[in-house]
Amino acid sequence: MSVLDWSVLVLALTGIIVYGLVRSRGSQSMDDYLLAGQSLPWYHVGLSVMATQASAVTFLSAPGQGFTDGMRFVQFYFGLPLAMVVLSITFVPIFHKLKIYTAYEYLESRFDSRVRTLTAGLFLLQRGLSTGLSIYAPAIILSTILGWNIYWTNLLMGGIVLVYTVTGGTKAISYTHLQQMAVVTFAMALAGFLTVKMLPEGVGFVDALHVAGEAGRMNLIDLKFDPNSRYNLWSGLIGGFFLQLSYFGTDQSQVGRYLTGESIGQSRLGLLMNGLLKVPMQFLILLVGVLVFVFYQYNPSPTFFNKQETDRLKQSQYASAYQLAEIKHQNLTTQRQKAVLDMQVALKTDNEAGQDAAGSVLRETDEALKKVKTDVTDLIKKNNPSADTNDVNYVFLRFVLDYLPHGLIGLLIAVIFSASMGSIASAYNSLASTTVVDIYKRLIKADSDDAHYLSVSRWATVGWGIFCIVVAQFANRLGSMIEAVNILGSLFYGVILGVFVVAFYVKSIGGRATFWSAIVSEILVVISWYLDLTAFLWLNVIGCLLVVGIAWILQKFSPRPVETDRLP
Amino acid sequence: MPENPTDLPPFARSWAQLYAIVVGSLTAEIIVFYLLMRWLS
Repeated sequence: MSVLDWSVLVLALTGIIVYGLVRSRGSQSMDDYLLAGQSLPWYHVGLSVMATQASAVTFLSAPGQGFTDGMRFVQFYFGLPLAMVVLSITFVPIFHKLKIYTAYEYLESRFDSRVRTLTAGLFLLQRGLSTGLSIYAPAIILSTILGWNIYWTNLLMGGIVLVYTVTGGTKAISYTHLQQMAVVTFAMALAGFLTVKMLPEGVGFVDALHVAGEAGRMNLIDLKFDPNSRYNLWSGLIGGFFLQLSYFGTDQSQVGRYLTGESIGQSRLGLLMNGLLKVPMQFLILLVGVLVFVFYQYNPSPTFFNKQETDRLKQSQYASAYQLAEIKHQNLTTQRQKAVLDMQVALKTDNEAGQDAAGSVLRETDEALKKVKTDVTDLIKKNNPSADTNDVNYVFLRFVLDYLPHGLIGLLIAVIFSASMGSIASAYNSLASTTVVDIYKRLIKADSDDAHYLSVSRWATVGWGIFCIVVAQFANRLGSMIEAVNILGSLFYGVILGVFVVAFYVKSIGGRATFWSAIVSEILVVISWYLDLTAFLWLNVIGCLLVVGIAWILQKFSPRPVETDRLP
Repeated sequence: MPENPTDLPPFARSWAQLYAIVVGSLTAEIIVFYLLMRWLS
């Protein structure tokens, strides 16, 4: 990185944090600290919800996924708008009317303290671990590509957020979210625009899409119903709906965002704005990755984007095998360049047979290149068993560093930091609010003043910040980070959602049945994942249905009526 | 926390209409994506 890049990075991050802190000044109560005094308008709610969900891995892994796997990942988000509608109708009015701080408070009024504590505990476990991953995921990539020390990068990533989250609370988080989304949108749009501009003369945006289509990267919709296929229309609509409903309806990092709305309507509008914008936003992020793929059809691409690992390979006993793979890779990229130029001519002359023939060569070379990459990955693993071989995470950043102009590089690194900070801040805040409201205030010290709880909330934020940074320091290689985070979520979200579904819709089931059902269901979900019985998105559906089904059976055979089935 | 009817945006007369717009947009996106995929492959 040049001095210009560093200046842009430092300026962007400092500007965002200072703005957030300045706007959140003033005396604070616990209500201000955890819910921003429920005073925010819909666009704050909407952008805050979006910034919380869009972590750094969204901007690192998703373009890489577009590059290697095409656009099909967009289907993962199809359930989101439907979930936003259900949340607006059901969850938002209930949460607002009960004047609660956390989603789990509602469970005590509906069931008992046991169900509330269990659900809050599941959330804390899941969110604490996944926030550690959210810190580690961008840190490992930045440290590998830029040569930064991973431990210091983790500390920097998690530490900066801690400063403004502890100081300014939810209001600072919300104001920084606004700026973060502005930086992210501008920088990603500019990166996409410049990628198209860097294509050879005469190759426009539409030509690029045609090349991507012929190479199988515009695989937007898969209509085939296959429970083992990770991304298709049905897993996106059904599995995605359950995942997003549980994430937005029961994960305090999101509930805490829309509870900041100044009215039920403003919270609803914020969520519906997310429902309208999320799918197009993910489409565009993936499209940047696809455009990078097209760029590399005309230009030589690295055999492996994680350069640190290939540099190690060159110094190892496998150097000659790697050299052979490199030669094979170069020959194939030359073939690919010829095919893509043929394709360009065929497109200009409307020669469909020519387009098909060139497309067929493109797909064949693509497969052969994937094979070479697999061979190189095997060599890397043999040379260094602990190497990070998931190249998806490195594609976009390598491209940025190799081809985009200075200044924009700094801005895109700021995007990664901003996105990361946005989701980590919400996570810290939600972990603290759940700890204080659902554990400390409920089980440890119930009758203290507001100043005391505010102070405990700040300390809880510090404590969770340290915990998440420690998890990040111990996190190891987990494949595509965006998938790792979603898989971890899917292990818990379905069960938590099931508890809320019983609470909202099945009034004939009591606390005892729900409590035991949740425990049994969680065990079954973990077993299903461990035995790899189905694609991870379906775990959300399975978890939810298991809780409802088992609770219903337990209640049916329980000798106690629902109204006496409560803990004091 | 009040339920304020003025929270609705000017282009929607009721919440039900707004929900229909969100679901309709998703349906339109899926159709456009499908047509785009067919056109480009």
